Amino acid sequence: MSFRTLRNVVAISLGCLISTAPVHAQFDPLTVQIQPLAESSLVLDIAKAGENLVAVGERGHVLVKQQDWQQVSSPVISQLTKVFFLNEKQGWAVGHDATIIHTEDGGLTWQVQFQSTEVEKPLLDILFFNENEGIAVGAYGLFYRTADGGKHWVQEFHEELLFPEDVSYLADLKAEDEALYLSERSALLPHFNRVIQLADNRLLMVGELGLVATSDDNGVTFVTQPFDYEGSMFNAIETDGAVFVMGLRGHVFKTDKQFSQWQEIALPVKSSINNAYITDSGSLYLVGNAGVVIELDSTDKANIIARRQGENIVAIESDNQGQVWFAGSKGLFQLK
Amino acid sequence: MLEKLVNGFETHLFRNRMWVILSFMLITLFLGYQASQLKMDAAFSKNIPLNHEYMKTYTKHQKDFGGANRIMVSVEDTSGNIFNPEYFETLKQVHDELFFIPGVERSQVKSLYSPSTRFTEVVEDGFAGGPVIPADFRNDEYGLNVVRDNVEKAGIVGRLVSNDYSSAMLTAQLMDFVAKTDEEMAESEGAEKDITTKPLNTIQFAKQLENQLRGKYETETIKIHIIGFAKMAGDVAEGAKGVLLFFLIAILITAVMVYLFSKSLILTVLPLVCSLVAVFWQLGLLTVVGFGLDPMSILVPFLVFAIGVSHGVQMINAVRRRVLDGQNTKAASASAFRSLLVPGGVALLSDTVGFLTLLAIDIGIIRELAISASLGVAVIILTNLILLPLVISYTTIKPEKEDPVKKAKIEGLWRSLSKFATPKYAVIVLVCTAVLYGFGFQQASNIKIGDLQGGAPALHLDSRYNQDTFHITDNYSITTDYMTVIVEATPEACTYHSILNEIDQFEWMVGNTPGVESTASLASVSKRVNAGFNEGNPKWQVLPRTTASLVQAVGRVPTTSGLLNGNCSVMPVFLFLKDHKAETIEVVTAKVKQVAEQLNTDTLQFKLASGPVGVMAATNEAVSEAQLPMMIYVYGAVFVLCLISFRSIKATIAVIVPLYVVSTLAQALMTWLDIGLAVSTLPVIALGVGIGVDYGIYILSTMSGKLTQGMAVQQAYFEALVERGSAVIFTGLTLAIGVSTWFFSALKFQMDMGILLTFMFLVNMLGAIIILPALSAVFWRKPK
Repeated sequence: MSFRTLRNVVAISLGCLISTAPVHAQFDPLTVQIQPLAESSLVLDIAKAGENLVAVGERGHVLVKQQDWQQVSSPVISQLTKVFFLNEKQGWAVGHDATIIHTEDGGLTWQVQFQSTEVEKPLLDILFFNENEGIAVGAYGLFYRTADGGKHWVQEFHEELLFPEDVSYLADLKAEDEALYLSERSALLPHFNRVIQLADNRLLMVGELGLVATSDDNGVTFVTQPFDYEGSMFNAIETDGAVFVMGLRGHVFKTDKQFSQWQEIALPVKSSINNAYITDSGSLYLVGNAGVVIELDSTDKANIIARRQGENIVAIESDNQGQVWFAGSKGLFQLK
Repeated sequence: MLEKLVNGFETHLFRNRMWVILSFMLITLFLGYQASQLKMDAAFSKNIPLNHEYMKTYTKHQKDFGGANRIMVSVEDTSGNIFNPEYFETLKQVHDELFFIPGVERSQVKSLYSPSTRFTEVVEDGFAGGPVIPADFRNDEYGLNVVRDNVEKAGIVGRLVSNDYSSAMLTAQLMDFVAKTDEEMAESEGAEKDITTKPLNTIQFAKQLENQLRGKYETETIKIHIIGFAKMAGDVAEGAKGVLLFFLIAILITAVMVYLFSKSLILTVLPLVCSLVAVFWQLGLLTVVGFGLDPMSILVPFLVFAIGVSHGVQMINAVRRRVLDGQNTKAASASAFRSLLVPGGVALLSDTVGFLTLLAIDIGIIRELAISASLGVAVIILTNLILLPLVISYTTIKPEKEDPVKKAKIEGLWRSLSKFATPKYAVIVLVCTAVLYGFGFQQASNIKIGDLQGGAPALHLDSRYNQDTFHITDNYSITTDYMTVIVEATPEACTYHSILNEIDQFEWMVGNTPGVESTASLASVSKRVNAGFNEGNPKWQVLPRTTASLVQAVGRVPTTSGLLNGNCSVMPVFLFLKDHKAETIEVVTAKVKQVAEQLNTDTLQFKLASGPVGVMAATNEAVSEAQLPMMIYVYGAVFVLCLISFRSIKATIAVIVPLYVVSTLAQALMTWLDIGLAVSTLPVIALGVGIGVDYGIYILSTMSGKLTQGMAVQQAYFEALVERGSAVIFTGLTLAIGVSTWFFSALKFQMDMGILLTFMFLVNMLGAIIILPALSAVFWRKPK
């Protein structure tokens, strides 16, 4: 081989090396997930994990409060809507793209358990009865159940929560066109916005179109509890003597634990109420859109105690010092 | 050979001196008339580097999104509450008045009264909404309560209504061209007949704002605050009128000084008149080449006058010395002409070339300055090196014999000064110079680019305009400190989740940059709209993956929001910054470039920049990029010209080194005084070199001849001082005193320039009489 050919070979192989090298790295949102503004951008839920607090929000953000709030990395970039801790270590968070992520160390590290962008629906709440059994609920009646701590999730369809006219419509459709039946079915149930376990182990689920339903069998079957409002209910809370459900345009209802006596609470605002919290003194804090924080005293009289312009408040929880934390469209904050 | 040429030229000129003077008079008449036609002229586009990459993006999309040329009018009710019938009546009138001022882009006028100002609210069965001021609005308590509710629902507090409800905002976009009036159409001739538009006259527009808005509607209870480039230019033009006064003061001071120097009325009047002739020519030539006088370059005529006087004084000094030696004035003038044409010509040519180097900066207003200043300096060659000696030759001057005691005193001064040309003192001087230079260089490297204070940098902080700016930034959540990144994609791009998601990622990443206060884009607004479609539930504040839902959300965002164009192929991302300091802008643009590089694809491009800070970013970059080439060109030109005239590399270096030290010190001074390197201050450095070179050339041109003949450096320098020293020192002082009066100007940039030029005039003069001889002492150690 002459020197010239050798030189050419070297030149060509060098050229190949250069051309196969990537031009520039593709932008990966996960590698840059930790950002200074995560704490002050949309945060949607806060939960206690033993002594710590864990908050979740947009872009898959997870924040943990030990001393101060610190963002930790999460394995997803989908918006997270809800976080639940069974005990101080075991926790789950859910969100858009039917995302379910799991932690075994109190929120410091997370693994994906389930995610599907094809579902095109968000999960809005998750609840575990013990280390193995749990359910996740979401938009358009989305409902998953696990019996193995979240390794496998099985979808359920809660026909009993359909409106009667939809039931017959679906029955007709099923006979004619299986595919259309399935696609229609996936959009007919109301959003399941929140599911909580009552003190007597019954489940209470609230949702769109005035949905309030209870279950005696860990959510296998639900019974709707009728009351006089058809707007969405976003949340529910149980106090010593009553249950409160709350939702669209300032509608908050108080009922007995048998859901037989209903009473609407008069609020001074028409903003949606997103969440509630029982204070040490036994009064109830309600938080909602238009930045309202309302205190309900023992006589159910409502007082606005804060109004943060241009902000929607979605979550409220207290830390191990007894400090109350709020979260919403502008992130985490305390009332001064 | 050069000498022969000069001599021949002199013979011809002085033989036909009558005709020459006559033609000068005719030209002066003609250009004087032209000068009287000169108009004040300020255009936004002249202030920006149109060929900068960012500005190409800016101009490309200006039609869809408006440019950075906006005005904001805040109407304040001094009672602190706008919800009263009188206020709303006034606000409506102001809105209508503004709408009809020619030059306002009517589709882009925004206020409470514009139909595009709407509110929406979520109700059980979907959305409810309408204009904030309903069609059936009654201006009474009930109607105002409805409006107040709607204002809150519309989320415009902080934008169209101040945070404390004490004032409301109107904003308008300005067009670059306006329709001609019927009379103007009738007047236009030839090809112009078909053109139905003319460029917007910014200064006239600013006057209309002042008269038709503030003049008409400002009362005890209503205050009108106006900001925006057009208003700023108008206020600068208004302030620039004060320049005339400073000009007169400067002429007066100069006249007194020249008289004290020459002790002769005729020798005082002639150089001043010739210098004024140069100013008339310069102004007249501006009209001839089709320029107006921009408020920012209003100082040029003064500069021309000053440089003219400087050369005129050299001339009368030379004539007087020759008359004292016993020549008649004609012979003295001819001989002075011969001896000064070359050094003076070289000095003025250096000035001219120095100013021309400013053309390298691709910003209209600096180029205009370059042309008008170089024209002005070039004509001084004609008026003060040719016309002046010719006119003097007609006079008979009988200068008093110098008082021998005084003469001895002055010679004593020259004798002491000449010690700088001895090796012993030269070493001290050069060491001091080196230390000073090192210190200056270190300071100069910290010079800040861009505008360093809030508001308009051309005006003082306590000016009405800047006070209005502070009123608006304090009372509203909006800021004028924003830039937009233009996202270019394919038509209908906003119906794709992937595209909007990338924009959302971009916005988030850039939003997390220090200095960025908040951001907005079609992506983030669509997310909030999507939450709105889902009963206002914040958990739905996402970009829906379903195309139908995405289109539904995007469809609620009107093109008037400025967040998308008609077919949504272009979607700007707004970045609101904490200020417009150069560091802030640099950090943000660097981050934008970094993130854009990662996200850019063939069909999706993130491009800098529009908005006021986008323009500043381009200007800062253009200015800092231009700084080095400009210095290289200006020094290169001076170097070549000195080399040609002295034919000695040593002499050339001896002239240039002091100049360079002084311009470094001037930059250090800018750092100390917090004067940023901006469009208005950048030329000062080139101007300073141009002016400073005169002193060195005059002194060294006398010296170099004597040095070539073998004279010792100290003696050569002493003789140069005797011949030209007094003129050099005198000019430096006179010009410095004249310029220092600018310190009291109503315009901040004029004050800054006044300080810098005073420094340049004085210190360059000191450099020429201290550093230059010291360098010579080192260069010509052994006489030939």
